[in-house]
Amino acid sequence: MESIGVVPRWIFDLAGFHIVLNKETLIMTWIVMAFWILFALLATKQTRLIPNPLQSTAELLIGTWDDLVTDSLGLSDRRYFSFIMTIFLLFWVSNLIGIIPFLSEPTSDINTTLSLGVLGFIVSHYSGIKFKGLKQYLKEYCEPIFFMMPLNLIGELSKVVSISFRLFGNIMGGSIIILVVTYLVYSLVLPPFLYGFFGLFVGTIQAFVFTMLSLVYISVQIR
Amino acid sequence: MDMVFDTVSIVKAGQFLGAGISIGFGAIGAAFGEGLVGGFANCSIGRRIGMASPYTRTMLIGQAVAETSGIFALMVSVLLVFGDFSANGVCAWTATLSAGICMGLGALGSGVGAGYPALEAIWGAARQPAVGGQMTTTMLIGQAVCQTPAIFSLVIAFMLMFRNCVGLDVWPYGASLLGAGIAMGFGAIGSGWGGGQAGGAACEGAARQPHLRGPLTTLMLVGQAVAQTPAIFALLVAIMLISIGPTEGTILTSAAVLGAGISVGFGAIGSGMGNGITAEGACNAISRESSTTKDMLTFMLVGQAVGQTPVIFSLVVALMLMFITFNIPATLVGFCALLAAGISMGLGAIGSGWGNGATGAAACKAVAMEPTQRPVILTLMLVGQAVAQTPAIFALLVAFILMFGNYTGPVTLPAAMALLAAGISMGFGAIGPGIGNGITAAAACEAVGNRPEERGLYMRTMLVAQAVAQSTAIYALVIAFVLIFVV
Repeated sequence: MESIGVVPRWIFDLAGFHIVLNKETLIMTWIVMAFWILFALLATKQTRLIPNPLQSTAELLIGTWDDLVTDSLGLSDRRYFSFIMTIFLLFWVSNLIGIIPFLSEPTSDINTTLSLGVLGFIVSHYSGIKFKGLKQYLKEYCEPIFFMMPLNLIGELSKVVSISFRLFGNIMGGSIIILVVTYLVYSLVLPPFLYGFFGLFVGTIQAFVFTMLSLVYISVQIR
Repeated sequence: MDMVFDTVSIVKAGQFLGAGISIGFGAIGAAFGEGLVGGFANCSIGRRIGMASPYTRTMLIGQAVAETSGIFALMVSVLLVFGDFSANGVCAWTATLSAGICMGLGALGSGVGAGYPALEAIWGAARQPAVGGQMTTTMLIGQAVCQTPAIFSLVIAFMLMFRNCVGLDVWPYGASLLGAGIAMGFGAIGSGWGGGQAGGAACEGAARQPHLRGPLTTLMLVGQAVAQTPAIFALLVAIMLISIGPTEGTILTSAAVLGAGISVGFGAIGSGMGNGITAEGACNAISRESSTTKDMLTFMLVGQAVGQTPVIFSLVVALMLMFITFNIPATLVGFCALLAAGISMGLGAIGSGWGNGATGAAACKAVAMEPTQRPVILTLMLVGQAVAQTPAIFALLVAFILMFGNYTGPVTLPAAMALLAAGISMGFGAIGPGIGNGITAAAACEAVGNRPEERGLYMRTMLVAQAVAQSTAIYALVIAFVLIFVV
């Protein structure tokens, strides 16, 4: 119970900057990345016509997301596909990692979700300018009437806030509930079910929601 | 006779107040839900006289589950009446009072919500007698999930009651506990109620199309899990207020923690309801047009996610209130400013969350009617929701101005009340326009489903109508600004 709100940190000075790093988040993110690199290497080591289990898992994941991206954007673009797929894989395992003892979710740190939210924002607006041209892009801020501009602007910015706080709040909330209930029932019976619900179920849904929203924001900009 | 104000008597007073609130409010929801189930059971028996005994059995099972939240409230109430929490220090009086608020209000939504799956299950069995037995499983799953917010409230109520706060002052730590109770109690209403509606729609759909029971259950579970997000945000804030709440500080700290609780608690009502309604719409839609099952999940999630934006604003305001040190004088004026910020954002988020949910539901149904128009409906939904979001953005604006304002004027009662009134004006003023705008956008989405070729016309009509409905929110905003800057 006492561990709520405590963030282990690395603090050091480098080239005149005071740098604070959240230790746990960094290590856990690297573990997630290592997992996917290992998975990719193993799955593609011997690609065959009749796939082994790893290869078919990879094919299933890629096939599903390829369909979703092509369907939402109305065009087949490998760059968007790899961006969207990367977000999903990163957040999916990040959300699930908490069910392994001694590991914690990097997504329960607002810095992780906010940075990916900002990245999605930049990609969607860059694509908007590229596909529609700067003039048309700016014109859309003045719809339906020109003095709606400030509200449209806040509306766009609020997308970044909402997408990142949604994931953060759900994962952080889930892990705190597990912690508190485990403490209240002296670790009897309930915790495995809670891990099943908040870890596996909510974690998967929220990773999917984050990714789908990034995709929808891009598709709204380029259509 | 002289009144005694020692710790024991103050804490007892808090306990009794909490006990009354707990079972008083807690009794509303469960009874409402059970009444609905009973009514539909009678209608169903009227339809098929021979089936009286199986329907009565399903009714009793359904009512028993809906009763759970009422029993939680009773349990907390009994503990508060007969227990003695004065050993936990003087703060225990707000702790026990707020445990009552938390459990009483928290049981309300789940109690009503648990009624919907049961009534649809019985009604569905009357409509389609062949599926009778299978409906009970779907019903029980739907009810169990919409009971979760009440369980969150129970957990928080226990944490509050048994919190040892010896040696801590009522201001600000007691206020922090009160904030936690308000956050979780109100925060559980929307998610419980909305989740129940989603469960009801899934049962109805399973009665119409028995072969779709699998996809319907999946859609219902995902929709309910997303609709639970507002309750999870409320829980997050409540636990933070209990475990790392401020133990010392000025009157401002007390206002900030109370404001944080109000902001996220009320803010969660609208989004929770809205998300549930969207999930309900999605379940209805696939039971009408089963070919859209594959796309509906994505569509529902996008609609729900936008409907969550208001509660996320509330969460952000609550976190800011808890963690930022404000440059405001620690006077009555400062107290009212921070409290008003919480009220403005909390109440201001209700309407937009609800309205956005209604729009999402209509969009899901429109996709089922006219699957080829999916991109058009998505655009219309997002534009409509963005406009329906505006009242919540006004409320956010007012909350920011209140939090970061410059209060150098003289400290008078009118000055303080003006700030409080600004929060109330914007908070309540945003409820109606948010819901109204959402309903307008919902109708526009449905219209595309009926007659897609006139979509340009619908968009124009929708925007004009929303602009008119928005005007009352703008009146509230203007009055809030006048109260803050002029008076």
